[in-house]
Amino acid sequence: MNRDEHGSLTEEQKTRYRRQLAIPEIGEEGQIRLRKARVIIVGLGGLGSVSSYYLAAAGVGCLRIVDHDTVCLDNLNRQLLHSTADLDRPKTESAAEKLRRLNPECSVEPVRVRLTDNTRFDLVEGCDLILDATDNLAARHVLNRISLARRIPLIYGGINGWNGSASTFVPGETGCLSCLFPSKGLRTPATGFPVVGPAAGVIGSIQSAEAIRILLGMSPALANRLLNFQGKSMKFRTVHVGKDPACPQCGPSSRG
Amino acid sequence: MRRTIQITVNGMTEKVPENATLEILIERFQEADPALIVELNGRYIYAREYSTTRVSQDDRVEFIHPDFGG
Repeated sequence: MNRDEHGSLTEEQKTRYRRQLAIPEIGEEGQIRLRKARVIIVGLGGLGSVSSYYLAAAGVGCLRIVDHDTVCLDNLNRQLLHSTADLDRPKTESAAEKLRRLNPECSVEPVRVRLTDNTRFDLVEGCDLILDATDNLAARHVLNRISLARRIPLIYGGINGWNGSASTFVPGETGCLSCLFPSKGLRTPATGFPVVGPAAGVIGSIQSAEAIRILLGMSPALANRLLNFQGKSMKFRTVHVGKDPACPQCGPSSRG
Repeated sequence: MRRTIQITVNGMTEKVPENATLEILIERFQEADPALIVELNGRYIYAREYSTTRVSQDDRVEFIHPDFGG
């Protein structure tokens, strides 16, 4: 209906997106770019709840949302997409329902699968961007390999306690996630990381803003930078990070 | 006695032994973390360089502990 690839915006779209169409970097042209975009969001917990909701609201044309899990009661302090009525439902199902309700023009593709070393790379087929909303480093290394193999930018986000971190990896232009986090030995606590809900909101929002920037053709603000949010002292820091020439994943051959 | 120098660690002024390596600072400031990220004067330092990289007067060191929950 409203997804004419070349057409202009419908009157309804002009109204729905009015407050962002007024932004110089967006305008009608940018809005059409968003409409043509497909983003894969992996993980529908604290981070994915926020980023998927913002990207659907912003008018990203297609969201492929991935999670293997079902909604648990102890998710609900931070996973805003799900509610008490959704307990035991697959997160993909609960999320798809909310996102479609928010914006029926957003095509939602739920994929209920757990990320493993055997995950097929065509999980990201047709996607412009990979948004990491996973809850462990092993899954992030899987996303990194897929990002490098398919040359799709990866926006990392992670949270712990009051804090969170984010960075963007662009294959062929920046280092990769493995340059930054080569350690494979990090264990996720059996009961999961402790998290105060707003930490997920902060980092999920930052990832969403970065995704919108990239989809609009702006340069990734978090390329070669690691942003760190400390919620107890309410401080943001960014540090410079770089490509590791000795990285076994992206190696010296892919140009930095 | 070894001389000390003044450097900035995570925005705070600190006195440390002259020629201290990043490895020594990590231990001294209890920053050990398998995923630790270190920036020295705006430059990213690889983990394998912690034992050979020495700080000088007025250097700025940032230790960041990345987060992996979701």
